Amino acid sequence: MKDLHAKREAVRHPVAEMYAREHAARKLDRREFLTRATALGLAVPAAYGLLGLAAPEASAQEPQMGGTLRMQMAIKAQRDPRTWDWSELANACRGWLEYLVDYQRDGSLQPVLLESWEASDDATTYTLHVRPGVTWNNGDAFTASDVAHNIERWCDASVEGNSMASRMGSLMEDDALRDGAVEVVDDLTVRLNLSSPDIALIVSMADYPAAIVHPSFTGDDPVANPIGTGPYLPVSYDPGIGAVVERNTDHTWWNEGNGAYLDRIEFIDLGTDPASWIAAAEAGEIDLNYQAQGDIIDIFDAIGYPRSEAVTAATIAVRFNQDNEPYDNKDVRLALQKAVNNAIVLELGYNDLGTVAENHHVCPIHPEYAELPPIESDASAAMARLEEAGHAETEFELISIDEPWQAETCDAVAAQMRDAGINISRTILPGATFWNDWTKYPFSATEWNMRPLGVQVLNLAYRTGGPWNETAFSNEEFDSLLDEANGIADADARSEVMARIETIMQEEGVLIQPYWRSIFRNAAENVHGAEMHPTFVVDYVKYWKS
Amino acid sequence: MLLFLLRRIGLMLVTALCLTFVVFALTNMPAKLETLAKTQAGSRMSDAEVASWLDRNGYGEPLVMRYGEWLGVWPGWVREDEDGTVTGRCVTLRDTPEAAGERCGLLQGDWGFSTRFRADVADVITARLGATGLLMMWVLIVMVPMALIVGVLAGMREGSRTDRTLSTFAIASTATPEYVSGVLFIALLASSTVGISPILAEWGWIDGRVLFQGNARSAMDNITLSNFTLPVLTIALYGMGYVARITRASMTEVMTQQYIRTARLKGVSFSKIVLRHALRNALIAPFTVIMLQIPWLLNGVVISEVLFSYPGFGWTLYEAAVNNDIELLLASSVVAVVVVLVTQLISDIGYVYLNPRIRIS
Repeated sequence: MKDLHAKREAVRHPVAEMYAREHAARKLDRREFLTRATALGLAVPAAYGLLGLAAPEASAQEPQMGGTLRMQMAIKAQRDPRTWDWSELANACRGWLEYLVDYQRDGSLQPVLLESWEASDDATTYTLHVRPGVTWNNGDAFTASDVAHNIERWCDASVEGNSMASRMGSLMEDDALRDGAVEVVDDLTVRLNLSSPDIALIVSMADYPAAIVHPSFTGDDPVANPIGTGPYLPVSYDPGIGAVVERNTDHTWWNEGNGAYLDRIEFIDLGTDPASWIAAAEAGEIDLNYQAQGDIIDIFDAIGYPRSEAVTAATIAVRFNQDNEPYDNKDVRLALQKAVNNAIVLELGYNDLGTVAENHHVCPIHPEYAELPPIESDASAAMARLEEAGHAETEFELISIDEPWQAETCDAVAAQMRDAGINISRTILPGATFWNDWTKYPFSATEWNMRPLGVQVLNLAYRTGGPWNETAFSNEEFDSLLDEANGIADADARSEVMARIETIMQEEGVLIQPYWRSIFRNAAENVHGAEMHPTFVVDYVKYWKS
Repeated sequence: MLLFLLRRIGLMLVTALCLTFVVFALTNMPAKLETLAKTQAGSRMSDAEVASWLDRNGYGEPLVMRYGEWLGVWPGWVREDEDGTVTGRCVTLRDTPEAAGERCGLLQGDWGFSTRFRADVADVITARLGATGLLMMWVLIVMVPMALIVGVLAGMREGSRTDRTLSTFAIASTATPEYVSGVLFIALLASSTVGISPILAEWGWIDGRVLFQGNARSAMDNITLSNFTLPVLTIALYGMGYVARITRASMTEVMTQQYIRTARLKGVSFSKIVLRHALRNALIAPFTVIMLQIPWLLNGVVISEVLFSYPGFGWTLYEAAVNNDIELLLASSVVAVVVVLVTQLISDIGYVYLNPRIRIS
């Protein structure tokens, strides 16, 4: 954040000022305020300014230059950034492929290749100001037309697996960029004209598939032809084995001095068995892991790799698919939901490393979260309802992937249903086959990573015909309310709509969503700046070693 | 002899052909292809996207035709997009559009493209076989002398206390599969909290935190005692017990022969009998067994390499299987067939030279 101090004036925004008043009235906590205000185009120091606080200094310690960092992380075969489906694919490339904006650990947005942006009051027009003085590492200048080019790439839904297309709906028409949606005003200004209000647009540009590529990028491998704006370059990249990244000495990075501390970063892919990560840590071959779960966190703690925690809106959705019998029956869904006490699932399935959730997939840390009356579980009422629906004898089957925490969570869910007298069996599928049909299983559990705004996951997963709609949930009222919420910049107003949306989710028994996960990473004590990030970002440009 | 060799090579080709076809058919089942498409182009693709990806990448043709393409007896698939760009099997492999429509399979020396590692299969296999070669070399260096010494010592005096002790050790080691012994070794020797490493560190006998490393990834660049001991020991111990048992049996048999009794009656010292008269005859059987043991060791290599994350041939086989990397799996099967049959061939030929009775008849 230091780089922003000198440059930024507090650009006032009517909605942002209202957020500040809300914060003063204690309606908002600081994290919510930051996410909301920065999404509207306020730079972080300006946002802090509205709170009457000084922006925190980057860190108390002065970062040291130099050194090699070795990190355990899966290295998967690369492909076109917009089709990335694993954060690891993005993380490896973060040294040379930068983003327009970054989502920070504290929930705020930090401008990177953009210097600032403004939203119209109804969130239908955005003006993006491109950061001046940025160059590509091949010497070309970074301009507004590069931004327009990338947005056009994101909007091309004809590319298989292009998940950015689902985030850019308001700029698209017929599976491609809508004419006139993106205007290049001058070399450093881009105007976006949205077909419908979308408050998540800028946040979406911080998502990991939104890496900014050079206009010459056509292939599917950003490592083979690493033209980017960042301070590092790949040295080697071997899927399944590891990747090495080194500082690019031939390139002047726009943010010189505020990052790129390490000389060299080695990613080591040690497979999926955490036991080999521990063995590697014991042997002193890694400085930090990517993510530790369950007992593994404690073991790493014990061998001198203290943990860092990120509170997230990541979760597990134990969902019903309404295209399948008997889950097309609302009473069955509600009865099964009623049998499960979410707090117990959190304790048994995830060692209490999170917060209890309320079956509607909107998290208290989301700015638009609305608090509903607490949900109560009741085993006998659940069974009674199931009997009424005529499914007392039906055998249910709950499917999960073989990852321990997910399997254990589902075991805890199934055990409670069994206690209620429901006939339920468990099936555990290996990762290689699970994902083939993840949207079609009648009753299964899916891991969901967090999105900064509550409406984002709802748009992806619960809207009628949504690309990742695994519940087959289709509800007109829900869809139109969601459209409405997507256009409301005001937090309280959106919250009111959200309360209704959350209630529909609960009343329709769409899913059992037991808890919000905290996520953890263990790092050696001499590694700094590498704390766990709620969206698994490994921004090694900011890491350093003492 | 020539006829024998030709027959053996013919057998090898037929076996490889059958095996690769089975592997090809299994890896090309629709569900497997779907997995492949999703790992290649996005795990959350829709069915329509999967179908279009498979079609665009040449997986749409009938199974037998594509097997023919892989063998090189059928021209590789070609596809021309609306905008005129030509894609095809040979275009990717040869990296030039002119190659479209040519044959480019095994017969032409093209092993195909690994979807998991995004590299030519031939390059992947050569690099990984090199790594496994080093591992196997050390395994044999440890295993063979150890097995022979244990076997000979045990077989010298059948039923003696030495025999019982060593036989128990040999049986125990061959009865412990690699996935058990490997984990035990890691717990005992490679952990800073349990086993003997913390004790040794406290006494100041070792500099680092652990005696041996439980992870052999660094052995890729630089093999050390610390990072290579455990994987080598894990594989060697399993094979050692078996070879030692055979050596012992062979040794005891030799020790009951008439000529040994004669030598003993004549007053030749025991050590001289063992070293000069018994040993050479007793080593014929173990030689065959050692050669036949090598394909078995490949099993151990898969387990041990995955356990210690050492990227060799076994690890590659595992990765290819898990990720449904069709052409890499096929190449691995060919390599496995060659290893099995070549070691058999060597053992047959070697047997002829070691055993005069067969040579003369």
